[in-house]
Amino acid sequence: MPIEDIFSSKGRVRILRILVEIEELNISEIARRAGLNYTTTNQHLQALENAGLVRHKRFGRIRIFRFNEEDSRGKLIKKLIENWETNK
Amino acid sequence: MYHNSSVFKDENKLDINYVPPRLLHRKFQLNLLNQFFRFAIENPGKMTQRVLITGDVGTGKTVLSQHFGLEIAREAKKRGINLNYVHVNCRECKGSLFMILQRAILNFHPHFPKRGYSAEELLQTLMQILDEQNAYLILVIDELEALIQIGGSDPLYKLTRIQEDRLKAPQRFSLICILREPKYLDNLDHSTRSTLQRNIIHLEEYSTSQLQDILKDRVDLAFKYGTISTSTLHFIAELASSEGGDARYGIELLWRAGKYADASGLSEVSPECVRKAAVDVYPVIRKSVIFSLSFHEKLFLLGITRYFKHSEAAYLSMGAAEDAYEVVCEEYDEKKRGHTQLWKYVKKLSALGIIRTELSSVGQRGKTTYISLPGVPASDLEQELTKNLSTKKRRSNPHAN
Repeated sequence: MPIEDIFSSKGRVRILRILVEIEELNISEIARRAGLNYTTTNQHLQALENAGLVRHKRFGRIRIFRFNEEDSRGKLIKKLIENWETNK
Repeated sequence: MYHNSSVFKDENKLDINYVPPRLLHRKFQLNLLNQFFRFAIENPGKMTQRVLITGDVGTGKTVLSQHFGLEIAREAKKRGINLNYVHVNCRECKGSLFMILQRAILNFHPHFPKRGYSAEELLQTLMQILDEQNAYLILVIDELEALIQIGGSDPLYKLTRIQEDRLKAPQRFSLICILREPKYLDNLDHSTRSTLQRNIIHLEEYSTSQLQDILKDRVDLAFKYGTISTSTLHFIAELASSEGGDARYGIELLWRAGKYADASGLSEVSPECVRKAAVDVYPVIRKSVIFSLSFHEKLFLLGITRYFKHSEAAYLSMGAAEDAYEVVCEEYDEKKRGHTQLWKYVKKLSALGIIRTELSSVGQRGKTTYISLPGVPASDLEQELTKNLSTKKRRSNPHAN
């Protein structure tokens, strides 16, 4: 996924910010915090997962998402957001 | 009047949730607990354990378990074992297995979703988490009465048998149950009872001299030097001893006596402060218990206490309790809750030991529940509730007169 596709979407950036702040969350809670609906959140998360930036773990019916720290780009974006948030 | 000086050095040390660094007069029981769980340090994953701790109010059940938890978690960490000690109070969890398991899971995933699945799913999830993190769990279920009263045998059966489906997998889930009255175990089915009753640690009531040692320890931590004399301490220990060796009662008495000394501007806690405090502290029902009730539960209880205050009767029928509650609701300008909800309140209050319930006897037409108030004078309870409710009212409506 080209980088502009990630950063051009407010929703995706919001989701990434939430995951930096809370570390791991389920879709409904991410949706609630991001002010998006479930389907949109799910689509964004899928896109981010396909890009290798986030990953999920399944507990029965529940999927918990978190940043993929094994991915170098994922790590860098996380750092960028952390830096951005602390130097407001 | 506000005084700058206080007899307290650190009153948090008298908090109900504080775990003191030294556990007095429970060394043997602590060693026993350590023996039961030796495998968790030496051969983790090879077996699991179930232990039952019984004993009266204020005999140190919770503090014993928490002490053990701190020690074993520290030792496990030293050896690189991911052992987790999670202490859950059933009363706070309203006797729900779901909430108990949720507390355990939140220990591993603090933002785990709070609803949307069953207790069974949650139990499976917990085991999955333990497997994935190569972790071991000692789950402590405090005030087991509430769980048995609400869920019967079922929840405990599930908890004690979860390992049996996983014979070849590492054994990760151990259980400590804390119970005040062993008679509650009679409500369990035979197999659950037998799995629980294998290892029992029973705590006897503290004697006066033991209570004095315990209180002395707390005085050193919480009070300034020389503010409580030995004779005052002995007096408190004796009072606590006469309440069935209840150390918690003694500690609460200490705190309240200290507060009275502060309020009177005294530099030392006098026996008179203790006497005043003793009138205020109910041995059976703690302020924290009343505090933990919801607003309408308090209103309902207030209705009951008012009935008993003005009546010679020993019992109150469910219908009359509802009528009394309706009057209180009117007074507090609250919309009254329905019968089913009130029925739940009755069950909860009875599980907490504040009220006692009995079914109407055979031979009478229909069936109703009779409510009685054991132990605490209705007027005292009413006073406490009114005080509690007025602060709440003021807080929620700061402009109210």
